[in-house]
Amino acid sequence: MESLAHKDVINLLLQLASMLLLARVFAEIAQKFNQPSVVGEILAGVVLGPTILGYLGPEVFEFLFQSNPSSNLALDGIVQMAVILLLFVAGLEVELHLVWSQGKSALVISLLGLVIPFVLGFIFPYFFSEFFGLGEGNRLLFSLFMGTAMSITALPVVVRILMDMNLFKTKMGMVIVAGAMVNDIIGWLIFSVILSFMGETANLSLFNTIGITLLFTAFMLTLGKALINRVLPWINKKLAWPGGLLSLSMAFCFLAAAFTEWLGIHAIFGAFIFGVALGDSDHLSEKAKEIIHQFINNIFAPLFFVSIGLKIDFAANFDVLLILAILAISFAGKIVGSGFGAYRSGYKFKDALAVGFGMNARGAMEIILGIIALDNGLIDEKLFVALVVMALVTSMTSGPLMKWALREKIVQSH
Amino acid sequence: MYQKVALAIAFSPRMEALISETKRLVQLFGSDLILIHIGKKTDELEAKLDEIIIKTGLDKLKTELIWKEGKPVKMILQACKEQKADLLVAGALKREKMLTYYMGSVGRKVIRKSSCSVLTLINPQVNAKRFSKVVINGTQLEVTPKVIEQGLKFCQNEQVSQVHILNEIKLYGLRMATAAEGSEDEVSNTRRKLIQEEIKYVEEILTDLDKSGLRINIKVTAGKWAVELVRYCESINADLLIMGDERGYTFIDRLFPHDLEEVLTELPCNLLIIK
Repeated sequence: MESLAHKDVINLLLQLASMLLLARVFAEIAQKFNQPSVVGEILAGVVLGPTILGYLGPEVFEFLFQSNPSSNLALDGIVQMAVILLLFVAGLEVELHLVWSQGKSALVISLLGLVIPFVLGFIFPYFFSEFFGLGEGNRLLFSLFMGTAMSITALPVVVRILMDMNLFKTKMGMVIVAGAMVNDIIGWLIFSVILSFMGETANLSLFNTIGITLLFTAFMLTLGKALINRVLPWINKKLAWPGGLLSLSMAFCFLAAAFTEWLGIHAIFGAFIFGVALGDSDHLSEKAKEIIHQFINNIFAPLFFVSIGLKIDFAANFDVLLILAILAISFAGKIVGSGFGAYRSGYKFKDALAVGFGMNARGAMEIILGIIALDNGLIDEKLFVALVVMALVTSMTSGPLMKWALREKIVQSH
Repeated sequence: MYQKVALAIAFSPRMEALISETKRLVQLFGSDLILIHIGKKTDELEAKLDEIIIKTGLDKLKTELIWKEGKPVKMILQACKEQKADLLVAGALKREKMLTYYMGSVGRKVIRKSSCSVLTLINPQVNAKRFSKVVINGTQLEVTPKVIEQGLKFCQNEQVSQVHILNEIKLYGLRMATAAEGSEDEVSNTRRKLIQEEIKYVEEILTDLDKSGLRINIKVTAGKWAVELVRYCESINADLLIMGDERGYTFIDRLFPHDLEEVLTELPCNLLIIK
């Protein structure tokens, strides 16, 4: 087995150290401005990457991130693992239980909040594909991807906003959380099907891919979940806690990821669905969930978000018109879709608008979606930058816009 | 509290114990008793029932016998409605299969569809004893204020020594992970706030209720409330769990079992469902 040489190891460690250090510094700054850490972590990547360090100190950037192909390869492996773990955590956050308890309105809000952004995100890139940056790829796949990228809501961002506004436990808060959970599941399901047609493993027909994806999902959420429910009590009782639970859940997450990658529907989907099945289990304690969250969100998530800035020159790929177009489509799609869904479910106009604004937060998931599409050559760097900006702007404006829509209610409650 | 108590009997080996337990409740609440049997009325069964009624010392004047033929669930519920029963008592059998089930499908259907409250006894005794450790579900649900109010009245009648009201923090793990972006103080403040909010919710319900003679312990857990209720009841060896149920059940509820089903699957103790 080939191994890293002495200087490769030093280079890799320097890369990891600089990424984690700067990510922490910028995350702390972002929090001072009441923004999610992910905003700071992406900015840290922009500072460390070709956009700023590559411009101001090209030798340092070259030495750290370009001089050593072996350590770059190792870093790429770590980042891949980070994406898989992030999807695993995203799955853990989904509580099907909560979705059912919120009933029909959660389903209507999430479905309309998914369909309308999807349609808008599909139509414009389909008919103006050149403007949106489609190269020689497949126009249909490209438009399907754009539709999906407009549809997924960032659950952790939404939770943070709702907690800050003391709305988490209200009927509206619960409906938004449940809606975001349904969005996640359907969005990743669609994206997995799209992905299977982009990579080298595209050897299945559309029908087979959709069938296998649905079968795998159904299996994991029924028999898989039942199996987890049988095994977890044993793990909790017989093995070290939380060590046993942590290592085994990671192991099975990677196993599920490897399985779906082998099936041809991308590793992230296996990790996500395994996360959903595990998170919905009666025997995974909330304390254990918190530990897994902390472990992944504070070590692997920063590495992933910083790595984005390292890949792309944000200044050179900053296309204002494209960014404005993406912002317009994303805002219109989510606010109209989820807002209309809430209005139809009996919410008053302003409350429905607030639901639309709440569901508009995109965040980390869109960025993961974008980077995979970029790596697979489905989108170009300009569009990726536009998607990152969209994710950041929607996350940053979601809270203030909700406050604005509910201002009379908030004033009354004080 | 309960004017008419109904008991579904099936001439099983536990019938005498069930009647004894119900007799205790009927005396406690000063209620009338309705004994319901779904099946053919024969001389032999009538004689057997008469014998048990005499043996258990039931007041014949305050006891009505109903014999009906047809589908058990439908007929039991129909009899309860016709007789205007406000509490239905039923026994639960533990069945061992691949998974451990407590309630058979008849029991589950009765609980789901009954319009009056249902008391399910898992281990009825001929020498019936009062309940001493009671857990009430205090999770934030529409029905919870009613459950706590009725639950406390039940406990006062029973002179229960300790009442535990269990409330749960929704999505605790996710909320704590989200809050963990702050400093150590902020994280512990959030944790404290989450717990305080849940305690306050129960305390506000309790404010206007009569709590005389009761020792009430409010407990907050994190996780799915049904699972946590079962675990808590097991950990303190509770002998009665009181929870509410006012939902209509649809096809989706069968595909994705809701909280009540979780409790019925692993019934930790006797269960009173308030409707």
